[in-house]
Amino acid sequence: MVEKEGKIWAIGGGKGGTGKSFVTSAMGTYIAGKGKRVILIDIDIGGANLHSFFGISRPKKSLTDFFEAGASLNKLAVKTGIDNMSLITGDIHSLASDNIKFTQKLKLFRHIMKLNKHYVIIDLGAGSHNNTIDTFLMADKKIVILEPEITSVENMYHFIKNALFRKLRMSLREYGFKDIVEQMWERREEYNIKSLRELMDCIRDNFSYVGDIIDKELSDFKLYLILNKIRSSDDILIGSSMKSILMKYLGVDTKFVGFVEYDDSVWRSMRERRPFMLNYSLSRSAKEVEVFTENLLKGKEIKLSRN
Amino acid sequence: MSRKNLKRYFEILEIDSGASLSEIRNAYIRLKRLYSTDSIVITPIADEFSKKRRLAVLQQIEEAYTKLNEELKDEHQKSTYFGKPGIASENVSEGEEGDSVSFSGDVLRQIREKRGIHLYEVALDTKIRVEILENIEHERFDALPQEVYLKGHVSNYARYLLLDPRKVADDYISRYKAWKADVKDKT
Ligand SMILES: Nc1ncnc2c1ncn2[C@@H]1O[C@H](COP(=O)(O)OP(=O)(O)OP(=O)(O)O)[C@@H](O)[C@H]1O
Ligand SMILES: [Mg+2]
Repeated sequence: MVEKEGKIWAIGGGKGGTGKSFVTSAMGTYIAGKGKRVILIDIDIGGANLHSFFGISRPKKSLTDFFEAGASLNKLAVKTGIDNMSLITGDIHSLASDNIKFTQKLKLFRHIMKLNKHYVIIDLGAGSHNNTIDTFLMADKKIVILEPEITSVENMYHFIKNALFRKLRMSLREYGFKDIVEQMWERREEYNIKSLRELMDCIRDNFSYVGDIIDKELSDFKLYLILNKIRSSDDILIGSSMKSILMKYLGVDTKFVGFVEYDDSVWRSMRERRPFMLNYSLSRSAKEVEVFTENLLKGKEIKLSRN
Repeated sequence: MSRKNLKRYFEILEIDSGASLSEIRNAYIRLKRLYSTDSIVITPIADEFSKKRRLAVLQQIEEAYTKLNEELKDEHQKSTYFGKPGIASENVSEGEEGDSVSFSGDVLRQIREKRGIHLYEVALDTKIRVEILENIEHERFDALPQEVYLKGHVSNYARYLLLDPRKVADDYISRYKAWKADVKDKT
């Protein structure tokens, strides 16, 4: 068994365009700059575009070659133009809905785990597709990107609840409580269950011995929250609020690791085909990326000074 | 209070267990606002995270805050007013015992500063203007409102600092009266 060192990170969060790819690229660049080896994996089902954050063209090889031709992940990794960091691209064909079998997915995860000499940062793309969620659940660090905007909040709740639901279902099965979640959910009218929270409460009430398992799963399910595109310091509060609600409502422990302000240099550097962290290394937003990446590396939260 | 309970209360307020009184207070205010008002983080789940559930959360927050305050206030008073070294004891104007502290404006200021609380925080919560608070601390009696109002302000301020509002207000107002009598004599 490969030992987990907390080096596989997945970036998700539900809504499109919140900055998952930007954060992945910037964070990777910073870690690589510290002399660590980094592999970025782009598994965005809706359209992989991580390469464009480095001004390189779409890699010819993709995860399709892994699934169909058995190519090793190392062979698929292309240079990003940044020392110590390479990129693997997925594509719609190999990752969309049913084209990928469960066993294949497990094989991919196994191979990703073997890359553990590197920091592996996975850009999940938008949405709450099962493949997306499963990859998210596999990661050592589950990172979500939020924009201070109601649709982003809404999609994030949806994403997190989906992930948690799937995790509970899978682990209760592993413990031999086959389909307990499904059965409860199917009889939700009868039990008056309208939400994931009520489902968890109801399972706890009816099967007290399962409560411990739920608690354990909840305590393993840790999230890291990054707020992107903030436009005023007031927006930062949304990060702390989200963290609070996730704990007090769903019981999910979330570390709010940092934020990045809205900065035109982000898209400008993409147009200039230069990596943001190199092109605008002295900008405030680049410093903000450094702060939350350090927090992620150390498992720490952002220190919010008052006012 | 057991350490375990204490820890749980800090957790509910989402702060480290070494937090200062002003951090506790800030966390309390922030969380209370979060769970009692609609905002973009609540609205999307408002139908499942019902008013009733939120009320339960608010009650927990309230309880944690009250209990932590009681606990820390006891600690604070033991060390400050009845123990040897303390900010207030240096300012004891008369009397031999520690509990006959006279709460002058300056003592209030020192207590506040020791707890790392800014005047604007006091103002935010007590709804007393910063200017007035400043005048209270500097005992600029001529610039302060009439006695009845002043008494109300001073008690509120004392309550914020977790001091006995009656004792503080009585002390303070007696100083105010002395000043007033003095002014009268002169004219
Ligand atoms: N902090 C920021 N300031 C300004 N623009 C930003 C910022 N972060 C991201 N952007 C811009 O927002 C757009 C979306 O960013 P990005 O592609 O990283 O989002 P995404 O979450 O990966 O989107 P998708 O879900 O489509 O994959 C891009 O044009 C990017 O340049
Ligand atoms: Mg993207």
